[in-house]
Amino acid sequence: MSDNKDKNAKEPVLEVKDLRLHYFTSKGVVKALDGVSFRLDPGEALGLVGESGCGKTTTGVALLNMPSPPGRIVSGSIKVGGVEIVGMEEQELRRTVRWSRISMVFQGAMNCLTPVYTIRDLMLETWRVHDDAERPDLPKVEALMRKYLALVGLPEHVLGRYPHELSGGMKQRVVIAMALFLEPQVIVMDEPTTALDVIVQAQILNLIKDLKAERGISYIFITHDLAVEAEVADRIMVMYAGKAAEIGTNEQIFGEAGPAHPYTRKLLASTPRIKSRVSELAFIPGSPPDLVDPPPGCRFAPRCEFAKPKCHEAEPPFGEIESGHFAACWKAMEDPEYERN
Amino acid sequence: MNLRDSLEGLGAFWKEFSKNKTGLVGLGLLAVFVLLGLFGTLVVPFPGAIDHWRDIGFWQDNPQAAPPVWTNWFAKRKGVVSSVLDRAQAEESTLDSGARVSSLTFDYDFGYDLPPRDVVVRFEGSGLVPVTITLERPDGLVAELYRAQLELSEGDVQRVSLARNCSQEVVEFLRASDEALAASLDADLVKPVSLLFSRLSPGMAESPEALKGAYRLKVNAFLFSEDARLAKASAVVSGHVSGIFGTDMAKRDVFTGLVIGIRWALVIGLLTSIVTVMAGVLLGVTAAYMGGATDWLLSRLYELIFLMPVLPFLIVVSAIFKPTIWTLILIICLFFWAGPFKPVYSMALQIKEETFVEASRALGSRSWRIILRHIIPILLPYSFASMALAIPSVIVYEASVSLLGLGDSSIVTWGQLLNDALGQGAVINQLWWWVVPPGLMIALMGMSFAFLGTALDKILHPKLKTR
Amino acid sequence: MSAIETGAAPAAAAPAADASAVLELQDLRREFRVHRGKSVVRAVDGVSLKVARGEILGLVGESGCGKTTIGKLVMKLIAPTGGRILRKGEDCTDLDRAATEAYRRRVQMIFQDPYASMNPHYKIRDVLEEPLLIHRVGGSRAERAALAEEVMAKVKMTPAAEFLDRHPHMLSGGQRQRIATARTLILKPELIVADEPVSMIDLSTRAEILHLLKTLQGDMELSFLYITHDISTARYFTDRIAVMYLGRIVEIGAQDEVIDHPRHPYTRALIEAVCEPVPGRVGVKRALNVTGEIPSATAVPSGCRFHTRCCYAKEECASLPEPELQDSGGGHLCACRRWKEI
Repeated sequence: MSDNKDKNAKEPVLEVKDLRLHYFTSKGVVKALDGVSFRLDPGEALGLVGESGCGKTTTGVALLNMPSPPGRIVSGSIKVGGVEIVGMEEQELRRTVRWSRISMVFQGAMNCLTPVYTIRDLMLETWRVHDDAERPDLPKVEALMRKYLALVGLPEHVLGRYPHELSGGMKQRVVIAMALFLEPQVIVMDEPTTALDVIVQAQILNLIKDLKAERGISYIFITHDLAVEAEVADRIMVMYAGKAAEIGTNEQIFGEAGPAHPYTRKLLASTPRIKSRVSELAFIPGSPPDLVDPPPGCRFAPRCEFAKPKCHEAEPPFGEIESGHFAACWKAMEDPEYERN
Repeated sequence: MNLRDSLEGLGAFWKEFSKNKTGLVGLGLLAVFVLLGLFGTLVVPFPGAIDHWRDIGFWQDNPQAAPPVWTNWFAKRKGVVSSVLDRAQAEESTLDSGARVSSLTFDYDFGYDLPPRDVVVRFEGSGLVPVTITLERPDGLVAELYRAQLELSEGDVQRVSLARNCSQEVVEFLRASDEALAASLDADLVKPVSLLFSRLSPGMAESPEALKGAYRLKVNAFLFSEDARLAKASAVVSGHVSGIFGTDMAKRDVFTGLVIGIRWALVIGLLTSIVTVMAGVLLGVTAAYMGGATDWLLSRLYELIFLMPVLPFLIVVSAIFKPTIWTLILIICLFFWAGPFKPVYSMALQIKEETFVEASRALGSRSWRIILRHIIPILLPYSFASMALAIPSVIVYEASVSLLGLGDSSIVTWGQLLNDALGQGAVINQLWWWVVPPGLMIALMGMSFAFLGTALDKILHPKLKTR
Repeated sequence: MSAIETGAAPAAAAPAADASAVLELQDLRREFRVHRGKSVVRAVDGVSLKVARGEILGLVGESGCGKTTIGKLVMKLIAPTGGRILRKGEDCTDLDRAATEAYRRRVQMIFQDPYASMNPHYKIRDVLEEPLLIHRVGGSRAERAALAEEVMAKVKMTPAAEFLDRHPHMLSGGQRQRIATARTLILKPELIVADEPVSMIDLSTRAEILHLLKTLQGDMELSFLYITHDISTARYFTDRIAVMYLGRIVEIGAQDEVIDHPRHPYTRALIEAVCEPVPGRVGVKRALNVTGEIPSATAVPSGCRFHTRCCYAKEECASLPEPELQDSGGGHLCACRRWKEI
């Protein structure tokens, strides 16, 4: 189990370098992740945002080294608390890394709670699968379960309930508690609020903010909703077609100056706002590229209004716009002030 | 969805199907069956058998309960293969008295270890015709076997069996070569044909040793009167082994019976399976979609039919009327539709909840439209696979029913063959060639359809998922 | 008991029908019996609203509020257990088969899941022709094909020939939703019920679809009943908004009025809960002014049904009968007694 004195050290709690994950299907090799790099510091929340097919969920499952077949990590490195997990044996991963160092709240997990088991049984099973010991120390586990249920705002009696007896919000809290109670250093959350009602979503987001502030846990927060990302993420990585398009702090992406990458700008302009009056919602015509045979050059070029011949030929590197703010865009690197007002 | 779309769809389907080895094996087997079913009469040694299966006269010249020809491979002493000698050197000559003599010489090359059971000479013609039959042996001896006058009439066949008619003559023939031996033989107990085809030796009656070589059977027919005529003469050597699958107690060629049985197997199998699956699907979908009283009624009907034991019902029906194959098919259809009903019912219940069904209703579709144009097309793949898989069970069912004697004995099905076999002592007499082949055919046909069905299921099943 | 929409003098009998309204619901109710008839779910519990010609009315609410059920009631996929549905002043609550068919030509629906709403074995051509075949419009193949191409052009799926022979799974989510829209247009309806039409589509394409629908509203004078849980898209798309809670409308008015000046505490909480893509939110919790969870629709709270969660609730909110919608000025109605004080 981890201890949180990591947050004082400068060591990143998660470090991903040039990660490539491909799906080997009968129709060809789908390059779902094609060279993604980022780091996560202790106590920080990194948001992965993008639309369907961009690779954000794939990144999430890759961090636990459990891509669904026919997917495989092809190359790259993932270090969780300094431990390299690419190439690690399945057994070892299960016992030493998954859930104890890094855990995950899967998309739609709240609907995957087996209906015939009580919450207590379900949490106990999670423990058993990931615990290193021969037999679980039942009193200790029980105490942990109660502690974390309380932490997520649930009463003790929930342990004896069945999933169908709980509301959507309560189930999501249970799932978060299940991801927490082995006390990992990093939690990956994949669309944890998408299936919830607006008010419940706000309540869960409040909970996540609490947990972050009090426990110092690091998060990877995956969502397609930029507005939700703005709520929780300290830094945001925008993904498109299996690669990172832009990475920056909350202020850099959402602030006055606006994001650097044209895709992020358009995405932001497509996000409806309710309080600030914006006249028109933008949209991006076309659709994301085929990941079996992606276009040469920048993958967003076919849909980008600023695309030049260079953009279709050469893939832009991840260039630094300002300190801590990177974008993979020729235009942004050459003309950082473009359209920024 | 027009013809071109259907053909396109078929082409795409075939491409996928051809990748499935089991399916191809099944299809190949089925093709063989269908070809044999259609053109079988060209292949079988007894083309007329289909109308004469129960006609004793038709099968007279076959050996009774003879094993298949290929068992000779394994036998130490090779048995005689039954054959028909119908090519003869014919000679027409005229006697001094003006009478015509028709001489026919049949050459027979005998190379077996056992003597034939019988040699039957058949005469067809008209009028009163005296005939003589002699046999020239490879060792040069000539036996005069028969001398009698036959009364021939048009369309009739006169048969002279050497085994039955020539005992005395054979003893006489032996007397010429070995007095002592001939004296010791009792004409009533002797096996004339066995002696004719054995080497001359003192112990030839007890332990005959086959005399191999070229034999000549000479038949002379004396045509005295004007209207006397010998139309055709042939000799049938009735041996120990016969045909690809031997003969049964009624002397019928089993292989012929099997091939004839294919037609009925296919007809019964295909007809019942198509009708039952179509009925089951239609009723299942209707019950699922309409719900309410319709559902209640059909589900209760299903339960009744499904739980009713068919065999006792069949026995009762058979006791009352003698069932023909058509009543049998009818009864099978009345009961077997319950098979596909339940799976189709639950599938239709799921499909009913799909959004596109709701959308179709919102557009104004009536129930029949949704059933026919949305639900059933999705179930077609399952239906085809179901049909293919139903066929083996129907065939086995009919066979079991026939086996029990409840079937239609006027037609030739594999079940009937088995029924005859068991009834006429195949088991006691160890006539395995009578029992195993029909069973094998049932299994093979079942297997071919099962392979087909499994392949179909595998290919079409993923498309059952609607997303 | 009929709901009174305006502050006009209460009518003793059913209110007069508005012949100009393309859709009018008067005190519509729908109950479901669950748990073998032991409990009753009051999914729609007395809803009254009007949709004018060429108007987009947004029906906003969380899960279980009854908005989807209203959609099905309007589409006549289920029948109401009380109240009336009127179209252009005529009562359409109970219609015989022929009249229902005529009704369906005028009122069409776009579903939430763009893939599930079309039979995956059908080609786009078949999908578009189905309504024509059902209503016996367009006698020959050529006529139907022409109509199909016409609507494809309206939803900007051209050249039509490129798409007509494809299956739904070959199109993107946005394209499918456009075909679904085309399918509704082919019979030239008056009202389209759009049930979460963009919630399963990528963010960057949502505006495209909504923009298209808005264009159709202008070009064809179409009315829309836009059902959604996402109040922020309602801002861009609707003319008026009705907020639903547990089977009743708690607030209704012009969209900017409702969003900028929400009166009902529930609407306020809803708007407060919406996230915005603005900086500086990390670490700042939202004040929600709402407690607890949505109660079960089998046990609707007494009095004002929102009182169990409302942080402004007083004794009277629970004991007095349920407040009706009152005009708070300029056609902006709200069902809260205490709105002035809050």
